Amino acid sequence: MASSSSSDERPGIVVIGTPRSGTTLLRRILDAHSAISSPPETYLLSGAARFLHEERFAAGLRIGVISGLAFAGFEEGDVLDRLRTFVFGFLNEHARAQGKPRWAEKTAFDAFHLPAIRRLCQGHVRFVCVKRHGLDVACSMADLVEKTGGYVQELHQYLQRTPEPLAALAHAWVDSARAVEQLAQEDPQAISLGYEELVQAPEETVRRVLEQLDEPWEEGLVERALGDAGRLGFGDWKTYGRAAIDDSSVGRWTALPGPTAQRLATICNPTLEALGYEPIPLSSEEVSEQDARRSYEFGLMLNRMKAKG
Amino acid sequence: MALTRESLREFLGGKTRANFDQVGDDDELFSSGLIDSFVMVDLMSLLEKQTGARIAPEDLMSLDTVQQILDFSASKQR
Repeated sequence: MASSSSSDERPGIVVIGTPRSGTTLLRRILDAHSAISSPPETYLLSGAARFLHEERFAAGLRIGVISGLAFAGFEEGDVLDRLRTFVFGFLNEHARAQGKPRWAEKTAFDAFHLPAIRRLCQGHVRFVCVKRHGLDVACSMADLVEKTGGYVQELHQYLQRTPEPLAALAHAWVDSARAVEQLAQEDPQAISLGYEELVQAPEETVRRVLEQLDEPWEEGLVERALGDAGRLGFGDWKTYGRAAIDDSSVGRWTALPGPTAQRLATICNPTLEALGYEPIPLSSEEVSEQDARRSYEFGLMLNRMKAKG
Repeated sequence: MALTRESLREFLGGKTRANFDQVGDDDELFSSGLIDSFVMVDLMSLLEKQTGARIAPEDLMSLDTVQQILDFSASKQR
């Protein structure tokens, strides 16, 4: 591990996963640990990623702050060191204010900025990579959009590709999940876990994560995390309203209408398999125009029946 | 071929997250919200394909329980 990112020589922790993958739950549990301070979403790393944004043109020149400052005599390593000191400084200071030696940072949409975040942080932090079934993520992200009334900037490109919101969210999951998995595979220090195991076997899963972080397990950690109202800030609103971990949303995608699940499966199956999930069986039946019209008629009949009470 | 109780329960269980082994033959399916309109549409498509009969709007009221669906299927066998 390269130069310390933490006041106590223990590297900071970055929780990274596609949005709606249990990253807020994990953050709250880590924050309840006596040695780890994990504030609500700071957007520090995605902000740093935007600072490092660059574009590459045909001649191969990268246009952005790194190459711009290089022309001014500032080496890439120096720029990254200064940016890292700036970003980690907030987290270190916050941890000290909490009386804790180590910080953990988690902001849900960081998964869409991983190349730049890795450029800045890899070798200086411990990444904890969280994955979740793509169709469950798409359903949950749809809930988030309905709740917040809009799509964050990271999702705009996907909505521009397709008029189907769930398909757009499925594509977003594919890209971000693959980036997180690539990190998990390439960084020998990265820790991996799944949402499903986190909510179905929380103590066992968190114990394993803490062991890999060289932190001791603390009795009652999960209960303490959920019992504490926690610090207010950005993050998954749902976890703040729960006093116990709820695993009922595992497999929620199975309640999707068949054609919708099939549509999302065609998008997600290769990535599901790559992440160790079972691919969703695809129907080999083509829906004929006649069948589609008849299904539409059934829908009208049901609506009329409901209207009549 | 008539729809069997087993195949019907398997079909409905596969379409929803409910454990249809615990759903009684006379429990309301659609009117109780146990199955939604999407599943109901798929069920009606299945019934028409299996029986060759055309489901009329007035039939819908009698397709709300496992037993009613089985009775409809049996009554419409070719």
